[in-house]
Amino acid sequence: MLDRRTIVKGLAATPLMFAGVAHAHHGWSWAEDATFEITGVIRSAKLGNPHGILKMKAKGEDWTVEVGQPWRNARAGLKDSMLAKGVELTVRGNRARDPKLKVVKAARITIKGQNYDLYPERVS
Amino acid sequence: MLIETLAAIQDLPIAVALRNGRWSYAAVNGGHVVGIALLFGAIVPLDLRLIGLWRSVPIRTLKRILVPVAATGLGLAISAGLLMFSIRAVEYAAKPVFQLKLALIALAIANALLLRRAAAWEASQDMVGIAPPLRLRVAGAFSMLLWLSVIACGRTIAFVD
Repeated sequence: MLDRRTIVKGLAATPLMFAGVAHAHHGWSWAEDATFEITGVIRSAKLGNPHGILKMKAKGEDWTVEVGQPWRNARAGLKDSMLAKGVELTVRGNRARDPKLKVVKAARITIKGQNYDLYPERVS
Repeated sequence: MLIETLAAIQDLPIAVALRNGRWSYAAVNGGHVVGIALLFGAIVPLDLRLIGLWRSVPIRTLKRILVPVAATGLGLAISAGLLMFSIRAVEYAAKPVFQLKLALIALAIANALLLRRAAAWEASQDMVGIAPPLRLRVAGAFSMLLWLSVIACGRTIAFVD
């Protein structure tokens, strides 16, 4: 029955429940190690905490680009007005390991030839 | 109507500030975690007592410490949670996992309030050394299950559309 040992074991096991859930957003573990590059046009932008998300049309496909939180975008020199509908940009970063997901986390964004490094240490 | 209200919420100055802030957002986020830690950390020992552990300690003694801590944690978690909700109210409100979370919170709070009105609760305040009545054991088990599910839902919000 429910004795101390069972309860302690049960509590110890609960973190495992969450371990498999993560795929997108946090960290880089969900993304490929190899660098990926794609160019497209922004269809919509949703900036701000906890994550900035761009919807982009690239080669006829709908892509999702994860950009930084406001402070990271600002540090890279990006203004909200530059991440707006209709802007053409090149994203360099890491795409989701799951090939069905057309999601890329941006390390560098290039607009009109100008580089904006969100994660300078990942693109140097 | 609802969508207009939600849209108005995320246009509030505080929501806009948190959406664009760095440390303010981190502070609210951290406040939510501290609230959950206090709530869950206090409610689990009390629930385990209701289930039948530590029978030598009267419930009255335990609850005097743990109920105020849990209630404070709940208040903090709700306050910080509302602030985080305001940042993207429209989006969060539409997420099934968020709706489920709210329903589970309501059930968990109702479970606690109903227990306090139960005759078995009043009768077992000073009982020591014997198995708690079924009413308490059920409430304790439900409480742990519900709050754990609430936490799981909350954690999942960030990972699903």
